[in-house]
Amino acid sequence: MQENKAEEILKSLEEEYKDFSESLKEAENTKDVENIKVRFLGKKSLVSSTLKNIGKLSSELKPVVGKNTNVYIKKMEEELARKESRLKSIEFDKKLREEIVDLNLPGRKPKAGSKNIISSVIEEIEDIFAGMGFDIAQGPEVETDYYNFEALNTPQDHPARSLHDTFFISDDVLLRTHTSPVQIRYMEKHKPPVYIIVPGKVYRRDYDVSHTPMFTQIEGLVVDKGINFGNLKWTLETVAHKIFGKDRKVRFRPHYFPFTEPSAEVDVSCRICEGAGCRVCSGSGWLEILGAGMVDPNLYRFVDYDTEKVSGFAFGLGIERVCMLRYGIDDLRSFFENDLRFLKQF
Amino acid sequence: MRLTLNWLKEILGRNDLGALDIADILTMSGTEVKKVEYPAERFKNIIVGRIIECSPHPDADKLTLCRVDAKERELDIVCGAANFRKGDKVALALPGAKLKNTVIGTSRIRGRVSEGMMCSEEELGLSDESEGIMILDDRFVVGDGFAGAMGLDDVVFELEVTPNRPDCLSVMGIAREIAALKGIGLRFDDPGYSIAEDKGLDILIKDFGLCPRYSAKIFSNIRGQQSPVWMQARLKLCDIRPKDLIVDLTNYVMLETGQPLHAFDYDLLASPKIIVRAAKEGERIRTIDDNIRELAPGMIVIADESGPVALAGIMGGKDTEINDATKNVLLEAANFNGPSIMRASKSLGLRSEASNRFEKKIDPHLTLFAIKRFEDLLAKITGHAESSGIYDSFSPVERERALTLRPQKVNQILGDPLSGQKIMEILNGLQIPSKKEGDNIQVKVPSFRYEDLEREIDLIEEIARIYGYNRFSSNPPKVNQRAGGYTPYQKAVRDLRFCLSGIGLSEVINYSFISRATLDRFMLGDRTKELVRIINPINEDFEFLRPSLLPAMAQNVKDNIKYRIEDLPLFEISKVFKKAKKGKLAQETNMLGVLLTGRRQKKGWNSEESFYDFYDLKGILEYLSQRYYPQQKLLITHKEFGFFHPAFSGTARIGDIDIGIIGKIHPHLSEKLEIAQDIYYSEINLDLFIDNIKTEKHFKPVPVYPSIEMDIAIMVDEKIGSHEIEQVIWDAGSAMLKGVRLFDLYKGEQIEKGQKSMAYSLTFRGDDRTLKDREVEVEIERIISSLSKNLNARLRQ
Ligand SMILES: [Zn+2]
Repeated sequence: MQENKAEEILKSLEEEYKDFSESLKEAENTKDVENIKVRFLGKKSLVSSTLKNIGKLSSELKPVVGKNTNVYIKKMEEELARKESRLKSIEFDKKLREEIVDLNLPGRKPKAGSKNIISSVIEEIEDIFAGMGFDIAQGPEVETDYYNFEALNTPQDHPARSLHDTFFISDDVLLRTHTSPVQIRYMEKHKPPVYIIVPGKVYRRDYDVSHTPMFTQIEGLVVDKGINFGNLKWTLETVAHKIFGKDRKVRFRPHYFPFTEPSAEVDVSCRICEGAGCRVCSGSGWLEILGAGMVDPNLYRFVDYDTEKVSGFAFGLGIERVCMLRYGIDDLRSFFENDLRFLKQF
Repeated sequence: MRLTLNWLKEILGRNDLGALDIADILTMSGTEVKKVEYPAERFKNIIVGRIIECSPHPDADKLTLCRVDAKERELDIVCGAANFRKGDKVALALPGAKLKNTVIGTSRIRGRVSEGMMCSEEELGLSDESEGIMILDDRFVVGDGFAGAMGLDDVVFELEVTPNRPDCLSVMGIAREIAALKGIGLRFDDPGYSIAEDKGLDILIKDFGLCPRYSAKIFSNIRGQQSPVWMQARLKLCDIRPKDLIVDLTNYVMLETGQPLHAFDYDLLASPKIIVRAAKEGERIRTIDDNIRELAPGMIVIADESGPVALAGIMGGKDTEINDATKNVLLEAANFNGPSIMRASKSLGLRSEASNRFEKKIDPHLTLFAIKRFEDLLAKITGHAESSGIYDSFSPVERERALTLRPQKVNQILGDPLSGQKIMEILNGLQIPSKKEGDNIQVKVPSFRYEDLEREIDLIEEIARIYGYNRFSSNPPKVNQRAGGYTPYQKAVRDLRFCLSGIGLSEVINYSFISRATLDRFMLGDRTKELVRIINPINEDFEFLRPSLLPAMAQNVKDNIKYRIEDLPLFEISKVFKKAKKGKLAQETNMLGVLLTGRRQKKGWNSEESFYDFYDLKGILEYLSQRYYPQQKLLITHKEFGFFHPAFSGTARIGDIDIGIIGKIHPHLSEKLEIAQDIYYSEINLDLFIDNIKTEKHFKPVPVYPSIEMDIAIMVDEKIGSHEIEQVIWDAGSAMLKGVRLFDLYKGEQIEKGQKSMAYSLTFRGDDRTLKDREVEVEIERIISSLSKNLNARLRQ
């Protein structure tokens, strides 16, 4: 009788568990899970009443029924917890997915300014030369006739002076027409070896479509033992390739500057027409980018260098011209108009 | 300079020269060919025709029907001009010819067919205006191409001759270059001259320094006539307007030899005496361009006994000019002092083909050669040249120079080894005699290169130039390794530029010039006292060097606003100038200008519109101060400047150095500039700012104990500055006080008038322990009591 009773209880528990499993399987959300929990584990559930009435059972049956009931409770609690966590995560996921987000609304941009194109290109060229072991030197923009002309082998009445229309401050003080005076200033203060470049503003009395009264140059000077024309060629070819691209051809044309000899103008092949000739290169297929030459030995006399011991080369290039060729800017004046829409492009 | 291919061929005695080849070798040897023109292209399908019949057009008063012989066939042409007769030869444009961008075709004019057109000089582009059609003289042959018949079937080179090569300002000089480059044997030998024995002309050179040589010859019984078509064509192609035979010949010979010539009407000279002298004060001359020129001492004149008859080397005088009645010509071929000619031509504002050549110094030996060439051409053209011998006055000058050339030096400069033989071959090609002597080469520089070949290095350039620059190999310098790179100053400027562009500012670069009017408008105060002034400015806008970056940057604002670009965070790093206290140069100071105007933030879907204010600008200075002077504090001291709003105006100081100014542009100034928005501006003396940066940094261990933040709010007199309050807080706090941050400022109805409420967040931290609340409370109490004692501040509850 007692055993029957026990079997009966165990059987009903087992059926209850089956019911539970069925219900849990069908549960669709955490709310259902909550209801199942109340139904099968709540105060009015079979397991609760079984445990509540366990005192009425014989002392042999008590442990059996008690243990079995607790096993069922534990099992149901675990399964409920598992199911609940699974459903919770599904529900959370669903809630996230339901958020409406316009990913293409404009973001909050940090303010972006811009370096001037001239500064950027100067810095780029400085970096190239710094990498080759050059120092960067500076000099005054208001300069004496001596440094700007005289010591550069361009005495009064020299025909080359007429190529430089000069702004004068007094008879013998002027706005430098090129960065070359720094060559002399630097050599006066330093003994060879000299490896420098000199970026800076220069001034010429010319103002029209293709001239501004102020523009920017980079000067270069190398003086050392055994420097020759081949070194000049290698250095400037290397720099031209760095600035304009490895695929550009570079050529050297004889020219005349009072303070170099032999003197050269350096051209790179036109990128637009690939050398065939176009409007930009005035049909020649070449674009002039810089002037250069072996330092005229006369200069060494001004700075007390021994012409038999050292030799050197010098060069100068116009930054605005480099910018125009590289970026296709066609109006020189736009560099100094400072239109924000121009500035921001670089 | 311009010259033509046919002319070169004639001098070189070679017919096999291609235009593009010549252009290329000249360019690659230092005489850049800027342009190659083909003038004949314009005259395609234009031939010489002859009118064989003409009759009035039946239906039009002003038109004539012509039958024109074009050799191959006869054509009907309707013509609107009236200046021709039967038998005249004309320039006939056949269908297909292009005149002034119009293609000629067969057309019907008032019912009559016209199979082409008879052209005027204007239509042919040969003159600016013309009456009627161009009538060709008898020498033209019917059926010939017009361009060829006119001497225009040629190629024109536009050359850029460098100033060291006056010898190349001539067809002969360029021919010499080509000969050297192409290995053509070419020599210009002295033809032999007949020097006058008589005293028919007296030449008096007062100063051989001004005129080393004056050669002349008198040609008699000249008949006024036009120069031949071919000569006119060459002159025109070289941009010289033909006049009459004598004048054309002087120009032609100048272009060919490089020696300027001048022809006087001999009979108009007051005396058979030529005086070459410096002009006298107050002397004047009417030049052939019909201008009266005031002469100044230092200018050279050619005078007869009555006064100046020519401005030597620049332009002849009107009174002795060649004219239709000229019978006897005095031909001058002289050599004048280059610098004197340059100065005179500059001060008179008068440049000519002659002055351009003299400026660059011409070979004095050329005078006789040029006279001889003139004579030969005159004889060839007119079949007659009745003339005197050559009158020649000169001071003997050394015009041959011996130089020693060391092949080893050649190679040292050029890098690649050239043999002595190759070197001599190049020199000989240039008509520079040389011979080997031991290891060296002895060179005899001829007269025509005397000016530019003075030293060994000049010869080395010649060798490199003719050998070809692009044939030398390129080699990296054999440098001992060098570090190179940037000075601390240069690094700082680069870093500044990087930082400022990184926080939203755009870098401008303005001209260094400023006008008097702008200086006045900006009331730059002390800075206008020691201005650097340009004595020859382009115009008044460019008269001074700027003492401040502000005016130009304000102008940038104005210019951008024109395009509705109103939000402008800008900076500039440039020099400002003033007279130096010592020496003759200027005092140049690198300045950083920072300017903010317009909106800090536009209205967006997630942001409100806001405008730049003073504290945005101050914040930038604080950022820079903190970056480069982390141990120091930036302090703004109120000081008025004329261009700033009197309240928003001060100096900026870091530590004990005044580094610049900061303020808001005075509303009156903005109004004058017609800028209707607030502008904030700061100018920092970069030289001071950068020179005082301490570059070395020392690591401080990162704190390991947590910090505690406490807030206090006080009420103080609104005149008390925030830096005073902060100073009191710092002074009262112990070493545990690590930070003071103002987080609220209130003035208004909630509090007493004349007071303001300032709320600070104070950060405390122990270096060796976690602070207890009680410790911090003691700190706060001490700070509050100090604020109350020193600033009469009250705690705001
Ligand atoms: Zn091109």
